[in-house]
Amino acid sequence: MREKLLIGRLIDTGSPVHRLDPRAKMTAMLLYAVMVMAARSWPALLCLTAFSVLIMILTRIPLRMYLKATRPLRVLMLFILIVQCLAVKGGSVLVAAGSWHLDSAGLAAGVYAVMRMGLLVSFTAMLTFTTSPGQLNQALEGMLRPFERAGIPAERLSLMTGIALRFIPAILDEAQTIMKAQASRGADLKELPWKGKARMLTALLVPVTVGAFRRAEDLTASMESRGYRIGAPRTRYRPLVWGQGETWFVGAFVLMCLVVIWIGFN
Amino acid sequence: MNAMENIQHKSPVLTGYQENIAAAGEDIPAEGSSKAVTDMVVLEELSFAYDGQHADIHDISLAIGKGEWVTLVGANGCGKSTLIRLMNGLLRTSYGRIYIGGIRLEPGTLGEIRQKVGMVFQNPDNQFIGATVEEDMAFGMEGRCLDAGEMRNRISGYASRLGISDLLHRHPQELSGGQKQRAAIAAILAMEPELIIFDEASSMLDEKARRDWLDLLLEMHNEARYTLLSITHDAEEIAASQRVLVMHQGGLAADLAPQELFRDVGLLRLCRMEPPFRIRFALELEKRGMMPAQQGMTDGSPNPGSEVKRIWPFSWSM
Repeated sequence: MREKLLIGRLIDTGSPVHRLDPRAKMTAMLLYAVMVMAARSWPALLCLTAFSVLIMILTRIPLRMYLKATRPLRVLMLFILIVQCLAVKGGSVLVAAGSWHLDSAGLAAGVYAVMRMGLLVSFTAMLTFTTSPGQLNQALEGMLRPFERAGIPAERLSLMTGIALRFIPAILDEAQTIMKAQASRGADLKELPWKGKARMLTALLVPVTVGAFRRAEDLTASMESRGYRIGAPRTRYRPLVWGQGETWFVGAFVLMCLVVIWIGFN
Repeated sequence: MNAMENIQHKSPVLTGYQENIAAAGEDIPAEGSSKAVTDMVVLEELSFAYDGQHADIHDISLAIGKGEWVTLVGANGCGKSTLIRLMNGLLRTSYGRIYIGGIRLEPGTLGEIRQKVGMVFQNPDNQFIGATVEEDMAFGMEGRCLDAGEMRNRISGYASRLGISDLLHRHPQELSGGQKQRAAIAAILAMEPELIIFDEASSMLDEKARRDWLDLLLEMHNEARYTLLSITHDAEEIAASQRVLVMHQGGLAADLAPQELFRDVGLLRLCRMEPPFRIRFALELEKRGMMPAQQGMTDGSPNPGSEVKRIWPFSWSM
């Protein structure tokens, strides 16, 4: 987990998708997520799958990497499939064992749910595979900027997210060191019963929180000494540029949405 | 010279500065005056109390000339870090005046002062703001509203100068201690400050990284572009600098040359430190009537010579 957070999930192949403005990718992802949730038929889901595979190929990242992204959720997906099969009744009976029977509607609902989850996870992985955390953060700021007049502090939110992304691995490291220090004094979390584990968690959280505050204080000094002031004008090392490519990319997603909606009405 | 005598000791820079002020009949250095240009840092009767009552820093007056390499030493808790935090406005003075590059430090000039002062802290892990070395180097420059092209030039220039060009896309957590400190310095140098303050920046480095660190400081000093102020407990680093400020219980206990510090047992005890081995060795030889060459005691010259001279700087015959 630590290693994954440490290096981010960016797989740089230098594809055209990698070079796109992160705001375009984020907008496209939002459209895709809405469509995945809205799709209610096999043709719509198949259309979304075909579109996903096309975009995934464009990223030049091996498709197995996208499949791998769904692996941590395989237990949850299996659980959802079973629950849907057991809970949803209707259609024809496919298998019967005593009083229990698996209906076609239940199986369909389970497969729908699993497909939706698989598509969503594998396709959203595209965003993190092709965009660095810093760019994602910059995109978030760019997309929130229009809402600044409504009182949403885009720059501060983006700075907070950036710092959180930067410090998560460091704080995980610290937690691990504290756990090892506790284990070396005979309080090994692994060997404790669940109740003991819960109690030990407090003993872990307190030093980790104190450490996080200490880091925050040092970081504030570092930021201030480098002249950072809230609300002061800043330029960008990598300014976001929305070009024709971005418009085409988002346009393709809008077209996909229209096709899925059209399929839904027919 | 013992510790108490040293308290009375004033640096030639400070003496010159005070004489100048007296001659001009001014209370504060006029901006643009010759002295304001030659002194990078001027502290006048500086006092500070965290709780507003009990002085943690009391009545410190000193001046550091442009291009000087000064080390600030003292036992833990004597106020060294507090003093340097006062110098770029991270803490606000209770009493006294601070001038950086001839500009008086006050709320209105804080931004200008921070452009002149770069600070490298003890734990490099906690001072990285960017998720990569490159982003971190850009952070300070973004605040100065430099354009992207200028930022790119500076990043590639300073990264190659500090030998971290290959590390620009790495997360800080992936770097070794020495690499982290180099990256932290690169981020500061990219902002092109005039005064660089190191707050025990070498304390977490191993022996090899510490030697590289010292070479880097020497290189920066030789460039004569930066004024260096370093808090350190490392005797080699102190020996390599030009001047030492000794702090004790919030006050300035001495302002002297490194070789004078290493000869003063009282002051060394005050700082809870020992001279480096080569200097101890030189002093022992001296006691036995074998006089070491002067350069053996003063390695703070701008050009300290070869490594052989650094390790074996004595001219004596058996």
